[in-house]
Amino acid sequence: MTAGAMRITIGALVVVFGLVIMGAVAWLTLSAEGPEQPIEFMHSVHVEQNDIDCQFCHRNVETGAEATIPAVEQCMICHKVINGENPKVTNPLHVAEIAKLQAHWENREPIDWVRVHVMPDHVRFVHAAHIKAGFDCATCHGDVGSMERVKQVRSLNMGDCVGCHRENNAPTDCTICHR
Amino acid sequence: MRQAAEGQEQDTSKPVTSIGRRWGMVVDLDRCTGCQACVVACHAENNIALNLEDVVLQQRAMNWIRIERYWEGEYPNVKARFLPMFCQHCNNAPCEPVCPVYATYHNREGLNVQVYNRCIGTRYCANNCPYHARFFNFWERDLEEEQREYLNPNVTVRTKGIMEKCTFCVQRIRKSEWERRHADEELQDGDVAPACVQACPTDTLVFGNLEDENSRVAKLAENKRHYRVLENLGTDTNVIYLKKVDPHASETAPAHAGAAANSGRNSA
Repeated sequence: MTAGAMRITIGALVVVFGLVIMGAVAWLTLSAEGPEQPIEFMHSVHVEQNDIDCQFCHRNVETGAEATIPAVEQCMICHKVINGENPKVTNPLHVAEIAKLQAHWENREPIDWVRVHVMPDHVRFVHAAHIKAGFDCATCHGDVGSMERVKQVRSLNMGDCVGCHRENNAPTDCTICHR
Repeated sequence: MRQAAEGQEQDTSKPVTSIGRRWGMVVDLDRCTGCQACVVACHAENNIALNLEDVVLQQRAMNWIRIERYWEGEYPNVKARFLPMFCQHCNNAPCEPVCPVYATYHNREGLNVQVYNRCIGTRYCANNCPYHARFFNFWERDLEEEQREYLNPNVTVRTKGIMEKCTFCVQRIRKSEWERRHADEELQDGDVAPACVQACPTDTLVFGNLEDENSRVAKLAENKRHYRVLENLGTDTNVIYLKKVDPHASETAPAHAGAAANSGRNSA
């Protein structure tokens, strides 16, 4: 084998190895469980079992850039009664988590939820514009309703966003997202 | 980007636009009192770093908009002239072709766009800008946790090593756009006001769509006092200045605001 061929072979190996590592990182990121939250809030209980609409809690999604995480106050609209005045939940795991929420309410402390979908600072995403265009929450967020712990299901990198914008004939000017 | 590539094929003597919208501003110098409200508003809106003394002394101060001050005439007939200066969003922008990574380009709305995540900080654009409207981030922002709360969440905090400049508050343009779209309406004249326009107490700055003949900005741009700064360079700017009306002009040496702008910078 000549020195040139040797170099090309080594180069190819490095590229393949790099691709494998990148693929593994991407796979691990997407398949890993979501981050641990201060309260084990289960979307599956609220959406799948009790059939609550996404927008009942994420109220700003139709009008603003952020979908917004509900305040403790908003959780208490239901939980003042559910396992407050009316202790009908018996699953000890659920009872403990609801008790944590009620403690936050009584101590007047907000909950430090861990952010799952993190965008870089130079990207601006507007929820309302996408909801207005008729997209379902699940298009980007996956079937959150059946998740016990929320995790990111789509890469949501620039290629992902631009690909979808092109498919749907949405604007692709840089200033649409980068401001 | 696709739009920009289309733009390159177009006749360069015409504004690069194809959607019936070209954002522009009219600055009526007869109204400007040099109060610097626009400067303050711009700093607050766009998360611009504070210019502390050492930074100013190094001539690295960042002001997306600044009030240039010129003295005119001889003592005792001295007059102060103010000229708000910011990115002119040139249709033939000297900064655009020199960028090796295409971080600055002209979009279809006539905006000269700076894409922060593409910029690698060669500073060619700033060297080529005749208006001194581009600023380089020499330092990382050193912000305390509390200070982060003061930032405008709709504007990127620029990191060290990249170029920045006036965006015509593109975040506000986008906000007005989707608010109107949300109500199934068209964007109206006067919907969008960049921070400087909103803050201006004397209505010196007027912002709007220059392609729309009925917009306030297009009508003002037709005023016979209109001129563009450094017009002889052929930059074909989207910012149009209206010359100051001077009832005593004949008493002092003949002065033209455009000529004054050429006679050397004298930052206020």
